[in-house]
Amino acid sequence: MTTKIRDSGALGVILIALGFILLGSATSIHRTTDFIIFCIFVLGFDLLYGHMGRLSFGHMLFFGSGAYAAGLLVRYTTTNPLVAILVGICGGALVGAILGPVVVRATGACFALINLAFNQVGYFLALVAFAKFTGGEDGLSLTFSNIPFLNIANPKVFFGLTLFCLCLTYYFLKRLTSSPYGILLRAIRENETRAQFIGYNTYRYKWITFVLSSSISAFAGALATINYSYVNPSFIDPTRNVEVIFAALIGGAGNLYGAILGGVSYMLISNYLARYIPRWEMFLGLALLVLVFKFREGIWGNIISVWKSRTQTGG
Amino acid sequence: MLLAVNDLDVHYGHAKALHNINLHLFKGEVICMVGRNGAGKTTLLKTIAGFLKPSQGSILFDKKPIQGFVPEKVSLMGIRYVFQDKRVFSELTVRENIELAAYPTKEKVSDSIKRILNLYPRMDVLMDSKAKGLSGGQRQILLIGRALIGEPKLLLIDEPTEGLSAGIIEEILNVIVRMKGQLSMVIVEQNLSVVSRMADRVYIMKEGGIFKEINDRAVIEQSNALEAYL
Amino acid sequence: MIGTLIYGLTIGGILYIISIGLSLTFGSMRIVNFAHGMIYTTGAYILITALPLIRNNFFLGLLIAILVVIPISFIIEKFIVRRLYGESIDYAIIATYAVLLIGVDLVKWIWGTSPIPLSDPVGKSVTFLSIEVPVYRLIIIAVSLAICVGLWLFFKKTIVGKIVIAGLQDREAVRSLGISVDKYFSIVFVLGSCLAALGGVLYAPITTVHPYMGFHILLISFAVVIVGGLGSLKGTTISAFVLGMVMAITGRFWGPAAEAMVFAVMAVVLIFKPIEV
Repeated sequence: MTTKIRDSGALGVILIALGFILLGSATSIHRTTDFIIFCIFVLGFDLLYGHMGRLSFGHMLFFGSGAYAAGLLVRYTTTNPLVAILVGICGGALVGAILGPVVVRATGACFALINLAFNQVGYFLALVAFAKFTGGEDGLSLTFSNIPFLNIANPKVFFGLTLFCLCLTYYFLKRLTSSPYGILLRAIRENETRAQFIGYNTYRYKWITFVLSSSISAFAGALATINYSYVNPSFIDPTRNVEVIFAALIGGAGNLYGAILGGVSYMLISNYLARYIPRWEMFLGLALLVLVFKFREGIWGNIISVWKSRTQTGG
Repeated sequence: MLLAVNDLDVHYGHAKALHNINLHLFKGEVICMVGRNGAGKTTLLKTIAGFLKPSQGSILFDKKPIQGFVPEKVSLMGIRYVFQDKRVFSELTVRENIELAAYPTKEKVSDSIKRILNLYPRMDVLMDSKAKGLSGGQRQILLIGRALIGEPKLLLIDEPTEGLSAGIIEEILNVIVRMKGQLSMVIVEQNLSVVSRMADRVYIMKEGGIFKEINDRAVIEQSNALEAYL
Repeated sequence: MIGTLIYGLTIGGILYIISIGLSLTFGSMRIVNFAHGMIYTTGAYILITALPLIRNNFFLGLLIAILVVIPISFIIEKFIVRRLYGESIDYAIIATYAVLLIGVDLVKWIWGTSPIPLSDPVGKSVTFLSIEVPVYRLIIIAVSLAICVGLWLFFKKTIVGKIVIAGLQDREAVRSLGISVDKYFSIVFVLGSCLAALGGVLYAPITTVHPYMGFHILLISFAVVIVGGLGSLKGTTISAFVLGMVMAITGRFWGPAAEAMVFAVMAVVLIFKPIEV
C-alpha cells in the first residue's frame, strides 16, 4: 500500500527555506543568493518545459528583459529596488504577451527555434540597437537605494529577500499546478488535440502560461540585476540558454522540487567543478548527452522512482 | 495454414488495444475483419504487418513466427499491407509509385505495370500523371496494384471501399474477386454488402477482441445477418 | 545597388547550401539538427588547416574538408540522431545542441578562440553592369545554382531520390513496400552535412572564421527553413535567396541589423502564416 504525503505547498516552502539557509551557512551567502535567483529562473522555464511540454531555446530573452527593464528604470528614474523588481516582472510579462500569439501556435522544433530567434533579436537590441540606452557591451552599472526595513546592501538581508521571492514563486506555482489549471497544462502536454476536443481553448491557456513563464523568468532577471548592481548583454545572451535547460533536465523536468534541485545542481557544478575542468563547454555538452540518453528523469525523477519501488511491496 | 495468430495482446502504452486474438487463415482464403470503429481491426492488421509489437502471443506465417519483425522484413517475406485512407505517394507519378514498389523485389517494372493494367486498363492514360490527381477509387486500385508487385502471398487490406461511390466499389470488388485464388487476403471492411460478396469467412471484432467467427457461407451472404452480430 | 543584389544572391546561395541539409533532416527525421552548425564550422577550419599544406589549392581544400566531414556526420547520425528518432523532438534538439557545444569547444581547443582571417581565393574582380564584382562571389552563386540543379536531378531522376521524396511524405508506406527508408534518410543526413561543410568552406573567405560561426549561421538557417516551411525543399530554396537579399539590402543601410532583420521577417511571416507543426 502506498502512502501519499499531502503536500499543500507550505511544507515545500519550509523545506526550501531551510535547505537554502543551510546551504548559505555552509558555503557563502553571496553565492547562495546567486543560486536562489537562478532557481527562480529555472522554475519559470520549467513551467513551460516540464509542465506544458514546450521547450524554449531562448528563455534568456525574458530573463534579460526583466534585467534590462529593472536596470533601465533604475538608471533613468527611480532607484527603488522593489519598484525595479515590479517593473522587471512587467517587462517580462509584456514581452511574453506580445510574442506569445506568434510563438505559442508553434510546437516542438518550431517553438524552440522561434524563441531562440527572438532571443537573438533581443540580444542585438541590447548590444547594438539601443546601445545608447543600454550601455551596449559594457552595460549599465547601477546603484539601488535602500528602503525602510530593507537594507538590501546588506547581503544577509538581500539573501532573505530573494529566498522569500523563491518561496513565493514556489508556492504560487505549487497552487497553480495542483489546480485544474495545472491539470489542463499536463493535458496540453500529453495531447493538445484531445484537450481541444474536450472544449478548451488551449491557445488562450498556452498564451497565459507563456506570459507567466516569461514573467517569472523576468522576476529572476530583475533580482539578478540588483544582486550584481549591473546589467549587461550577458543577461540576455542566447548562448546561455543551455544553462537553464541543463538545470531543468538534471533536476527533473515537470516538477517544482526538480526545478529547484536542478538549479542548485547546475550552480554547484558551474561554480565548483568548473574550476577543475578546463574544457567547460565540452563537459557541459557531454553531460547533456548523458542526461538525454541515460538520465532523463533527472535527480528528482530518480528519487521518485526509488521511492515508488521501495513503498510498493511485491505481491 | 498460411497465417495463424495465437493469443495476441497489443498495448498502446498502458491501454490494452487487443486482447487474446486468435485467428487463422488458409491459403487462398479471404477473411474479413468486421466491427465497429475502435474495435481494433486496424491495430490487428498493423501488428501483423510489423508496425506494432505485440506484448504477448505469436503470429505464424507459413509456420514461421513473425511477431516483432520490422515492417520491411514482413513485406519482403510476402505480406503486403495496404493502408487506409488511400495514401499514395502524391508527389510521384503513377509510374514512379510502381517503380518504387518494384525496387525491393526482383520484379521488372514493365511486368508490374502490365499486371496493374490487367486489373484496370484505364490506368494506362494515368501512368505519367502525378498520383495526387487520381480519384479515390483509382488510388485504391493503384495501392492494390502496388501491393501485388513481387507476387506476395498475403495481402492485408484496410477498408478498401471506404468513401467510395457504389460504382467504384463495384470495380474494386471485381479486382479483389479476380485476385482470389492467386493469393490470400485479410480485409478490414465496414461495408457489409461488400463483405458478403467477397469473404470466405468473417471474424467479428468488438472492443479489442474477437467476438465471433462465422464460417457459414449462408450466413455471410446475408449481410443483415452479419449486421445482427455487430 | 547592383553590387548589393549580387551580394544578396551570394549570401542566398550560401544560405541555400547550408539550409537545404537542415530542411532535409527535419523533413525526414523530424529532428532539428544543431550539430549541422558544427559540421559547417569544421568544414571551414579544416580548409584553413589544409590550405598551407596543399599550396593553397582551394578546390583541394574543399574536397578534403568534405571527406573529413563524412565520417564525422556518419558517427553523429549513427550514435545520436538515430537513437533519438521517433522520440520527443526536444531531446533531439538538446542532444544535437550538446554536440554543437562539444564541437565548439574542440575547435577552441585545437585552433584557439581568435578569429582566423582567410583571403579571397580568387582575388580578381570582374566588371558587370558597370560595377566591379569579385569573381569569387559569382563562383558561389554558380556553385549554389549547380547544387540546386544537382539536387533537383537527384530527387526527380534517381530511385534513391524518389525513395526519399516518398519517405518524406509517408515513411510508413515506404516501409510497407519493403524498403528500409531509414537507411536512405541516413544517406540524406550525410549528404546534408557535406553541404554544410561546403557552405562553411565557401563562406569562410568572406566572413569571419571563429569558433561560434556555426551557432551564428545556424540561427539564420533556422529562420530560412521556418520561413520556407519546415521540410519543404522548394520553400527553403526560395526563402534562402529571399532572406539573402534581405540581409544584403539591410546590411547596406545598417550593417549590424542585417541578421536581426531576417528574424523580423520571420516573425512577420509567422504572424500571417502561423505554423502548426
